[in-house]
Amino acid sequence: MIQHIDVHAVLQESVSGIYTDLVTRPTGRVVRERIEHAMATAHGAVALARIDFTRVGCIDYSCADEIVAKLLRGRPAVLVLTGISDGHREAIEPVLAGHRMAAVIERSDGTLEAVGAPDAAVALLEELVARRLAVRTPGGTLALTLA
Amino acid sequence: MTRLIEVPTQFDDRSFDQFASAFAAATADGERLLFDAHAAEWASPYGLVGLLAAGQAARSSGGGGGGGERPLLTAPTHAEVLTYWTRAGFFREAADLFEIHGKVPRVKAADESDVLLPVTPVRAAEDVHAVVSKIQERAAAILASELGLDPKATMGFAMALSEACQNIVEHAGTGGWVAVQAYDWRRKLAKRVVVIAVADAGVGFRHSLEPTQSKRFGARWGDAAALEAALIQGVSRFRDPGRGQGLAGIRRYLARWDGKIAIRSGTARIAIVPKWDDDVPLKDGLPAFPGAQVLIIIPEQGSTKR
Repeated sequence: MIQHIDVHAVLQESVSGIYTDLVTRPTGRVVRERIEHAMATAHGAVALARIDFTRVGCIDYSCADEIVAKLLRGRPAVLVLTGISDGHREAIEPVLAGHRMAAVIERSDGTLEAVGAPDAAVALLEELVARRLAVRTPGGTLALTLA
Repeated sequence: MTRLIEVPTQFDDRSFDQFASAFAAATADGERLLFDAHAAEWASPYGLVGLLAAGQAARSSGGGGGGGERPLLTAPTHAEVLTYWTRAGFFREAADLFEIHGKVPRVKAADESDVLLPVTPVRAAEDVHAVVSKIQERAAAILASELGLDPKATMGFAMALSEACQNIVEHAGTGGWVAVQAYDWRRKLAKRVVVIAVADAGVGFRHSLEPTQSKRFGARWGDAAALEAALIQGVSRFRDPGRGQGLAGIRRYLARWDGKIAIRSGTARIAIVPKWDDDVPLKDGLPAFPGAQVLIIIPEQGSTKR
């Protein structure tokens, strides 16, 4: 099954109902721990988790590291990032590259893209296909097999 | 006895060493300090937050003269200067640190014009959230319309600001201040610039990094080596491999927009110097000043010839 995690909602519950930005290490830590808890206590086997950043304002490097990089390191499931803006990418990409890691981003049209360290990005997309979590579309792009 | 510290008439990062030298000399014997700003004609955000850091250091080191007294501060006498310092939020913060002499006008800290963020205290992560939230509302229009930055650059600006403020929360061991302002920088560029200034009177980079880095540097270890480790090598005091991303991220952002960063801590100052500036990359042996002071400058886009 696919688990959907609304990061904005987690942020609002974790820190304050008035801020929409993912900034500072302590905030990132609290948000990540809540996401990890949600994933650990999900009913049924989670094959893939969609981490949805829609409605999240700014993400700084510290939060990108604390949330995205550390979630990937734990790898409780295959993570797909959605709702990612250009500004979010600006923080996430260099942080992942610095760790020699990659993450999958699902664009608004449903196609997939891996960002981060180039080698890790290629390997990650190949792994998704090999595990039949993603397929190549007629247009040559990749899309998730699970809805 | 009271020791006098003159605040430079043009108080910015260039005149800060003169101020630091006077501060170091005056604090040597623990007498009460008098910061004399009566002749001040102009202060950059860096000067304002630096002066607050000096007040913070004076209070914590007994520069109030003992007996719990605060150091003295004579306010600028020029009406325009006084009004600007007030609009910039300086006196709101200074009131807790100094015994202020002079008439401070009853003007609210600015929520308009070129003061993008008045002098704002940073003590905890919650303060960084507030700063980032506020700056995004105010900075977007100015960054795009006045500096010619891509509107998407606003988020990068907020990220850089967040990371600069977090250095206080994570490393200073005390609170600090941030201020952001846009102004015409005639002296250097004849262009508009946006300046972020962050200052604290905390432990400084050398002390923060000493437990993990001093052995690696050996005899070279000192304020300059600590700044080099933090800004150039992306080293953090934490062993977590993800640490040290903040200053690296600021550097990337500034490289894209031809910006400058300079960090002063202890007796050293390091800078990433763009082509339009003639600052030196590393200075050591400066007059000692507590904590860390960060300056970030983003110029109007287009040709930035000297």
